[in-house]
Amino acid sequence: MKITGAKAVIQSLLNEKVEVIFGYPGGANMPIYDALYDVRDKIRHILVRHEQGAAHAAEGYARVSGKVGVCFATSGPGATNLVTGIADAMMDSVPLVCITGQVAASLVGTDAFQETDVIGITTPITKWNYQITSAQEIAEVFAKAFYIAKTGRPGPVVIDIAKNAQFEEVDFSYPKNFSLEKYKNLDKFTVDDLKKAAKLINSSNKPLLIVGHGVIISQAQDEVLALAKKAHLPIAATLHGLSAISVSFPLYVGMTGMHGDYAVNKLTNQADLIIGCGMRFDDRVTGVLSKYAPKAKIIHIDIDEAEIDKNVKTTVSLVGDAKKVLSSLLPYVKKNSHQEWFKLFFQLKKEEKRYHQKREEKFKNKITMDKVFSVLSKITDGKAVIVADVGQNQMFAAKYFNYQTFNSYISSGGLGTMGYALPAAIGVKIAKPKELVIASCGDGGLQMTIQELGTIMQEKLPVKILLLNNYYLGMVRQWQDLFFEKRYSFTYMENPNFLKIAEGYGIKGKRVVELSKLEEALKEFVNEKEAFLLEVVVEKEHNVFPMVPQGAAVDEVRLE
Amino acid sequence: MVKTVQYNIVCENKPGVLYRVTNILLKRKINIEVLTAFPVYEKKISTINFIIEIEERKINNIAKQIKKIIEVIEVNFVVIS
Repeated sequence: MKITGAKAVIQSLLNEKVEVIFGYPGGANMPIYDALYDVRDKIRHILVRHEQGAAHAAEGYARVSGKVGVCFATSGPGATNLVTGIADAMMDSVPLVCITGQVAASLVGTDAFQETDVIGITTPITKWNYQITSAQEIAEVFAKAFYIAKTGRPGPVVIDIAKNAQFEEVDFSYPKNFSLEKYKNLDKFTVDDLKKAAKLINSSNKPLLIVGHGVIISQAQDEVLALAKKAHLPIAATLHGLSAISVSFPLYVGMTGMHGDYAVNKLTNQADLIIGCGMRFDDRVTGVLSKYAPKAKIIHIDIDEAEIDKNVKTTVSLVGDAKKVLSSLLPYVKKNSHQEWFKLFFQLKKEEKRYHQKREEKFKNKITMDKVFSVLSKITDGKAVIVADVGQNQMFAAKYFNYQTFNSYISSGGLGTMGYALPAAIGVKIAKPKELVIASCGDGGLQMTIQELGTIMQEKLPVKILLLNNYYLGMVRQWQDLFFEKRYSFTYMENPNFLKIAEGYGIKGKRVVELSKLEEALKEFVNEKEAFLLEVVVEKEHNVFPMVPQGAAVDEVRLE
Repeated sequence: MVKTVQYNIVCENKPGVLYRVTNILLKRKINIEVLTAFPVYEKKISTINFIIEIEERKINNIAKQIKKIIEVIEVNFVVIS
């Protein structure tokens, strides 16, 4: 039986067991939306307020559900509005399939109304993209798109569908168990590689295991723990590796990177072995590369071969899925103990704490972001999904909330997209309706995608919005403070009445300005059954420390 | 040290593959000195060959990035000088 291309699109999504689509209709994808209307009891469609919101919501959904996030946008501006979200997903290895409408094939290349070169624009920021100009292509292209998005190192795929292909009729048959030769052998490590890596681990006196996003994607947390326990390895996490391991786990020593823990940054350059697992040694992790881990041999575990030796020269590389690599490596690793090495971490942790207390003294009786997350952590026992925006709030959320549940810190790490948190939290809440989902935003970031309050209203999503308002673009102001002689060039923000905006969307809210009222307000915020916006007015000039200044080595980390 | 390197790519003969390859170069501000591309095997397969000047430490990385392109089957390179 023949069906229209638009119906074939929807049928393909049903074949891929898609349950949620984040999207926005327009001229060039109306036939698809018409076909979607027939299956609205099977596929939930979330109407966002801007396509960027659709992409971020799909990212949030994908990151906590383990499924592919799907979004719809029309041609032209609809498609270009997706671009930031697609680039974000590319940097953070998030599986997305973005389906954009396109003008009819006969009009492509004529500068037709709402025509844009979506394939050209999205090529550098997708794993794969394809323009469908005939309905015949739909089934296979969709099977291929979903397979590519989720296989190997995940990432975004764009399918651009010309309008004529949506109207054309086609005999629909969906490929079963689609696969590509390219991805058949993802685990490229050999027994010899494992033995070499194990030898390095067994002979190391000062090892450091760094876990990244790859550990979360491959759900290798148990294997990480088993290896760390057996070889007695200190575990550090990158920003995206945060919450792969409970921060209370005795072998966990803290976060790496620009605003990572003092001890971890200092001792990275003392380590004789670094095991990077599912991470990519990016510049925010390594500081200046020429001075990174000068005493260490490097074992790099990653599924993406192109990451090996890209930034840091490895001694042994193990290319493959983190879970498989670690479980294969474990039998070759000997039991070990590194008590003295661990002591150094705890000593430096104390030093960091001392500086923190000094800062606390300075900001006594004032609300600072660290206090907000410490109190929030205490109230929730560290059991909430924090969807952090970008900037100071992101770093304070990473440092002062005690993550107890797996994969509970979601943020835009690679691209660093302000405005990410609110729409991403929508996707997270839809995937995890029973969990407490908190979008942590600064006043700058929230206003970049504030229109998604409308989506929260329409879908009646109990997303909690924690607005940390310092009337500044805080992280830029911090850099101006530290590196530009306090010349606060255009970082001060005149802000609206956020509670009235929330009220306009039917969302309850509260504003806290006094420290004495903070805990009570956070309790109300957490316990509220519906969506809630808590605006916390925080100290204006409060900086995130520790900090590795740009261009400095990780052990040049500053505590003040 | 800057080297002159020739890359030889075997890929599916489909639109956009060359665009993806040149994007990898453009992203790193690498200029193409010589480029040839032609189909083989009843036009199902294409070969793309190009010569670039590139820092030695990046030679292999470029090959690995090109290999990630879905339609690319094989990548080899020769250091000319």
